[in-house]
Amino acid sequence: MKQQRRQFKFLAVLMFSLFLVLAFYGGYSVIQYGNRWFSSSRNPRVRSQKENVMAGDILDRNGIILAYTDTEGERHYQAEEASRRAVVHVLGDRQGQVANGVESFQTAYLYGFQSTFPELVRSFLSGESRRGDDITLTLDSRLCTQMMLSFDAHEKTRGLRGAAVVMNYRTGELLGEISLPNFDPDRIDEAVYQNPGQPFWNRATQSIYPPGSTFKTITAAAALMNLPDIENEQFTCTGELPVDNGFIHDFGNARHGKLSFQNAYRVSCNQVFAQVALRMGDQELKKAAEKAGFNDNFLFRDLVVENSTYPADNRTEAEVAASGFGQSAVAATPLHMCMVAASVANGGVMMEPILLREVRSTLGDLRYEAKTRVYTQAMEAWQAEILDGYMRDVVVNGTGSRASVSGLTVCGKTGTADSTQNGEPISYGWFIGYLREESLPYAVCVLVEDVASGDGGGSTAAPIAADIFAYLRDHDGK
Amino acid sequence: MAKDKPEKRLRLPGSGLAATVMLFFMTAFLLLFLRDFAWQGLALAAAVPLGIWIGTHVICRSFHVDMLLLTLTNFLCALGILVLYDTNKALAYHQAMYYGIGLAAMIACIYLVRWTKSVKVWRYLTWPMGLVSLILLSLPLLIGRETNGAKNWIYLGSVSVQPSEIVKISLLILVCHFMSRRQMLPWLVFSVGCLGILMLQKDLGTALLYYGVTLMLYFASSSNVLLTALGLGGGVGAAVMGYRMFAHVKKRVAIWKNPFADYDHAGYQIVQGLMALASGGLVGVGLGLGSPTTIPVYQTDFIFAVICEQFGLVFGLFVLAMYVAIIWRGAVIARGARRSFHGLLAMGATLMIALQTFVIIGGVIKMIPLTGVTMPFVSSGGSSLVSSMCLIGLVQGVESLNRDDLTEDERMTEMPQTFGGKRGGRR
Repeated sequence: MKQQRRQFKFLAVLMFSLFLVLAFYGGYSVIQYGNRWFSSSRNPRVRSQKENVMAGDILDRNGIILAYTDTEGERHYQAEEASRRAVVHVLGDRQGQVANGVESFQTAYLYGFQSTFPELVRSFLSGESRRGDDITLTLDSRLCTQMMLSFDAHEKTRGLRGAAVVMNYRTGELLGEISLPNFDPDRIDEAVYQNPGQPFWNRATQSIYPPGSTFKTITAAAALMNLPDIENEQFTCTGELPVDNGFIHDFGNARHGKLSFQNAYRVSCNQVFAQVALRMGDQELKKAAEKAGFNDNFLFRDLVVENSTYPADNRTEAEVAASGFGQSAVAATPLHMCMVAASVANGGVMMEPILLREVRSTLGDLRYEAKTRVYTQAMEAWQAEILDGYMRDVVVNGTGSRASVSGLTVCGKTGTADSTQNGEPISYGWFIGYLREESLPYAVCVLVEDVASGDGGGSTAAPIAADIFAYLRDHDGK
Repeated sequence: MAKDKPEKRLRLPGSGLAATVMLFFMTAFLLLFLRDFAWQGLALAAAVPLGIWIGTHVICRSFHVDMLLLTLTNFLCALGILVLYDTNKALAYHQAMYYGIGLAAMIACIYLVRWTKSVKVWRYLTWPMGLVSLILLSLPLLIGRETNGAKNWIYLGSVSVQPSEIVKISLLILVCHFMSRRQMLPWLVFSVGCLGILMLQKDLGTALLYYGVTLMLYFASSSNVLLTALGLGGGVGAAVMGYRMFAHVKKRVAIWKNPFADYDHAGYQIVQGLMALASGGLVGVGLGLGSPTTIPVYQTDFIFAVICEQFGLVFGLFVLAMYVAIIWRGAVIARGARRSFHGLLAMGATLMIALQTFVIIGGVIKMIPLTGVTMPFVSSGGSSLVSSMCLIGLVQGVESLNRDDLTEDERMTEMPQTFGGKRGGRR
C-alpha cells in the first residue's frame, strides 16, 4: 500500500509535467507562429473581415503612399507602372498571388484585427465603415525602382531573372528588396500567369540558391577560428585539385600558383578553400555556417524567409571540399547572404531584418514601433575585422573591382555558383558587400540568375551593386 | 496517513467558487441571449447554473465528497454547453440533457463504489461483467457504421452510443480489482482483448488511452519497473509496427509533421485549428464572435481551439490548469484510500481523464499527431460526457469512503474528547 501511494505521487507528477510541456508548447507556438498561421490567405476569418473593413494605407520610409483604399473600398497602388512593379514582391498584391507580401502578412494590422475595444465602439457609434491601421515600411520605394532599372541598364544582366536586397547593417532595416521578373499588380493577365519565369515568386526571400564563392566568407571565418596560423601560410593552386575520384577546378580554369589565404579570398581560389574545408572537416564548417544562421528556422517578425541549408552529416570528401566554396547542397536566400555581409560590417553581429517602421491607427495613435533586434552573433568581432580587410581587398584589387564607387569605401565578395535547373546547367552570379561608411551603413546583396558562360558575379552582379551604392551616396536620407 | 492530515486541513475554495462559476455561466448565457432573443438562451441561463448547484452543493452535502473537484468538473461541463450553444444550438441542447444524465450517473457511480466496499458478492460479477464488456465493445464491428475512418459507434434508433466510452468504466473496475488481488492473468487477457477489438475498429486514440492507463496502473500496483518497461517497449513496438503497416497511421504522422503541405485535404482540419488558435491571441475575440465553425469537427476534437479563439490563449492555459487541479485532487484522494482497490480505482479514473486531455489538446496544438478522442467534459457527445462524469463519480466514491474511514478513526481515537463537544461529527 505504501509503495502504491508513492507510485501514485510519481504518476501525478508525471502527468503534471506532461501538462506543463503542453502549456509551454502551446504558448510558444502561438506566440512564435501565430501571425504566420493567422495571415495565411486561407484563413476564412480574414476573408470575411475584408468585406467589412477597409484596409489601411501602406507608406514607404519617405512617406510615399504605396497602397491605399479609396472611399469606394477599392485598393490602389502607385500611379507609375515601374514603381508598382519594383515593390510588388515586398508589398504583395490585392489577389494575394505573392506569398507573404505586406498586403497579406500584415493582415492583422491592415484589416483592423488589432483594434482595441474603445476604437470598435467609436467606429460603431460614428456609423462610418471601419478602417484598418496604416503601416509605414522601412522600404525606400525609389531605391527599389532604381535597383530594378539597374538590371536593365547593364548589357550583361538585361532581361535576366534575379534579386537584390539592401539593408542597414546597424539596425537591420530593409531599404530595398526586388525580385525579377516582376509584374504589374494592376494588370495581372494571362501572360503573367503563363510566364515561365514565375513572376509571383519572391526570389529574394523564397528561393534558396547555392551561394558559391560568397560562402567563402563563412569558410574563411571558420578557418580563422580553427586554423590559428592560417594568415601566415602559403597555399599552392595548381589549377586542379584531386579529391576522391575527381578534380576541383577554378572559375575559368585559372591557376593561381603560390598565394596567401587573403590572396586566395581576393582572387576567389576554390582550391585553397577546398583544402581548408577538408583540413577543418565538415563539422567545423557546419558549425560556422550554423552560427551564421544556416539550418536555423527563421522566425523573423516582419518577414517570412525560406531557411538556408547546410547539408547533413556523412558526406564524401568531394562534397565537403565543394561546400568550402559554397556548392554541394549549401543554399541560401539572397536576403540571408545580405545579412552575412551585414554581419561582417557590423562587428559580427547579425541584426534581424525588419520591414515595419511603425503602425498607426486611423486616429493616429501609435500601435507598433520598430525595435532593432539582434538576430545572432554570426562571428566574433576579431573575425569580422579580418574579413572586413579581406572584403575591402576584393573590391580594390580582386574580383569585385567593378563594385567600387568613387568616394566610397566599398567592401564585398563576388561569387559564381553552378547548379542545374530543370536538368539544365545554370550559373548564378552573386555579389555581397557593404559600405564602410559611418553615415551610410548599408549592406547589399545582388543575385543574377542564368549568367552567360564566361561571366560571373564580378561582371554581372558587382556593377549593379555599384549602381546601388552610388544611388545611396547621392540620395541618402531623401 | 499522518502525512495526509495537514492536507485535509488545507482550506480549499468551496461554495464561494461554485457561486462564482454559476454567476459566470448565467451572465454568459444571458449575453448570448441578447444576440437573438431565443428563449432557449434564457432557459439555459437558468438551467445550467441550477445544474452546477446540484452538481456541487447537493452532491457534496449528500455524500461528503471533494467540493473543489466537483466545482471544476461542473465548470468544464458547463463550458462545453456554452461554447456549443454559441456554435451549434442543437448540439448544446443535447449536451445539456446529457449533462443532467451525467450528474445522475455520477451519483450512481458514487453509490457503486460505496457498494463495492460493503457487498462482497460483487466479486462474482467480475467475470460476467468482463464478458459483457467485450461483447459490447465488439458490437460496432458487427452492427456499426464507419464514421471518420473509425468504426466505433452503434446506432439504436436515433440514439448513437460509443461503447468504448462505457467499457472505459468497466475496464477500470475490472483491472483495478484484479490488480489489487495480484491476479495478473485475468486483467491482462481482458485488456489485451479490448485493445485488439479497438485496433480492429481503427480507434487508435481510445486504444492508446486504454493501454496507457492500464500500464500506469500496473506500475503503481506492482512497482515492477522491469515489466513496466517491457510493456512500454511493447507499446512503442506496436506503434512503430502500426506506423509501418497502416497507411492511415502514416498519413496522420505526415499531416502532423507538416499540415500545410496538403492544406486542401488532409491538413485542412489541423491548419484551421491552428488559425483559430492564432486568431484568438492572448485574450480571444470574445464569446459569440470569430468563426470557429470553419474547423471541421470543431464540436468534438477541436473544441479546445474554439475555446482559445473565443476566450484567448490565457483562458486556454487556465482550462489546462483546471485539468491539472483535477489530477491533483484525484491523486490526493487515491493516496488517501485505505484499500488498494479503491486507490487504484481513483488513480485510474484520474489518469484516464488526464491522458485523454493530454492526447487531444496535444493534437490540437500540433505537439503530437492528432488522434480522435474527445476532450473530457467539454467535447460534444453524450457517451463521452456521461463516461467522463462517471469517472469523476468513481473518484468521488473513493473520497466518500476515505472520509468515512477518517471519521471512524476519529471516533475510535478521540472519543472521550469529541463526545458532545467538537464539530468533528460528520453526519
